[in-house]
Amino acid sequence: MVAAWKAAGLTYNKYLSIAARVVRRSLKEQPRLAAERRGEMQLKFAKWENGKQGEVKNLAKEPLEQ
Amino acid sequence: MNSFRAASRIALRTKPTRALLAPRRNYAEAAGPADKIRLSLTLPHQSIYKASDVIQVNIPAESGDMGILANHVPSIEQLRPGVIDIIEEGAGSKQFFLSGGFAVVQPDSQLSINAVEAFPLEDFSPEAVRAQLAEAQRIASGSGSEQDIAEAKVEIEVLETLQAALK
Repeated sequence: MVAAWKAAGLTYNKYLSIAARVVRRSLKEQPRLAAERRGEMQLKFAKWENGKQGEVKNLAKEPLEQ
Repeated sequence: MNSFRAASRIALRTKPTRALLAPRRNYAEAAGPADKIRLSLTLPHQSIYKASDVIQVNIPAESGDMGILANHVPSIEQLRPGVIDIIEEGAGSKQFFLSGGFAVVQPDSQLSINAVEAFPLEDFSPEAVRAQLAEAQRIASGSGSEQDIAEAKVEIEVLETLQAALK
């Protein structure tokens, strides 16, 4: 039998990350804040062309990778 | 000449016996006490158990719930999001909710469990579970994208297991 998440087109990584996210959100205030702080990340991206910086894109706001 | 030949024959014969007597290391000797299973429960950011000897571990495998004792047959099991029971000598049993991962039983009574998140049951808030379950059910029966509905269904499965475990 194919798992429901697989039939819906999710990858195993995506499925695990959804399960982990919902577990983190179900915690009490204190452990939840500690767990969510662990998941914070910042990533900015800009392409340089002819010695000039292009548009800065904030990649951290993109949705989780598939 | 004759005695030399006899001596060399003895030398040939003694070599393999010496090799048999030499101490050899195998799986059974490398492991801990015979009636214990050596558990490592690891997350990407933390080791909850690091090669601790425990009596039994109950895991929610995809193929069904199973209890693992010492000398279990080697296997690899995918875990459902759910509760694992760890029975330690003297200390009673400890329960953690795992968000899903893998359990690997090695031939020398070693058990490695890898998960993304694992927390003791007392760290969960039943109100947060109930609120999220209501939200996920609303999305699952709504008219959102196929992706949103699939994600909500995964969440419902996790939350329902969590809610049952907290009762």
